[in-house]
Amino acid sequence: MWAFIRRLLGLEEPQQELSGDLELPWRRRWHQTLKRSAGPDFTRQDYRLARERAREVARVTLGEELWQQLERQGYLDVPSKRFPGVTYRLRVGLRIEVICAPGVECPWPFPYLCINPKYPLPELEFFAHLYLYVRDREDEIIRVAAPQPWNQVLGRTF
Amino acid sequence: MARLIIANRRGHQVLEWDPATDTEEVKAVIAEAERIIREAREQGCKVSRKVGDHHELYDGPFDPNVEEYQIIAPIAGG
Repeated sequence: MWAFIRRLLGLEEPQQELSGDLELPWRRRWHQTLKRSAGPDFTRQDYRLARERAREVARVTLGEELWQQLERQGYLDVPSKRFPGVTYRLRVGLRIEVICAPGVECPWPFPYLCINPKYPLPELEFFAHLYLYVRDREDEIIRVAAPQPWNQVLGRTF
Repeated sequence: MARLIIANRRGHQVLEWDPATDTEEVKAVIAEAERIIREAREQGCKVSRKVGDHHELYDGPFDPNVEEYQIIAPIAGG
């Protein structure tokens, strides 16, 4: 529907012709989208479908072993490669918990790291993304993390 | 089939091609996938590719024979 309206108004960008109805989220501004929302044009059915698709792709992204582990224990742990004795605990839709071994000083003043996607994503989809960042690009996590004293749901996921 | 997964608020959307098929249509889809990956990286996204049964972040060049790529959302603190 929105794609049709955009085409009708001549707002469709020519680069998107081949990819048709693909939504490339980095092309849009999301700062006015409410927290925990995908935007005012999203229906209840859209949310349901998005969460179903997110589940599929998160499973593919993590692989079967990690997926089963997540299903079983409700979180995934990633040992830090930068800080010995530090482990990042990831839970779906929540901040990262920083767990320190006995005697190890926490690298941050607070034990929860608030990190959001720059555009709205279903919780499970972003969980898989965040896992890849923590495991493969820890420096990026260290660079952007906003330490917080308590855990809380993320604002840019739904 | 190879595919590019674009993670977005829809959960994800997919661009697919058959690397074994040498037609203009497939070439156009491959060119589109490469263009989307380049544009996404320019906008701060990361890209992952399938290695074995899971994904790993990947900074290298696009190869249309790779089974699966995915656009990974850029992140921000707070």
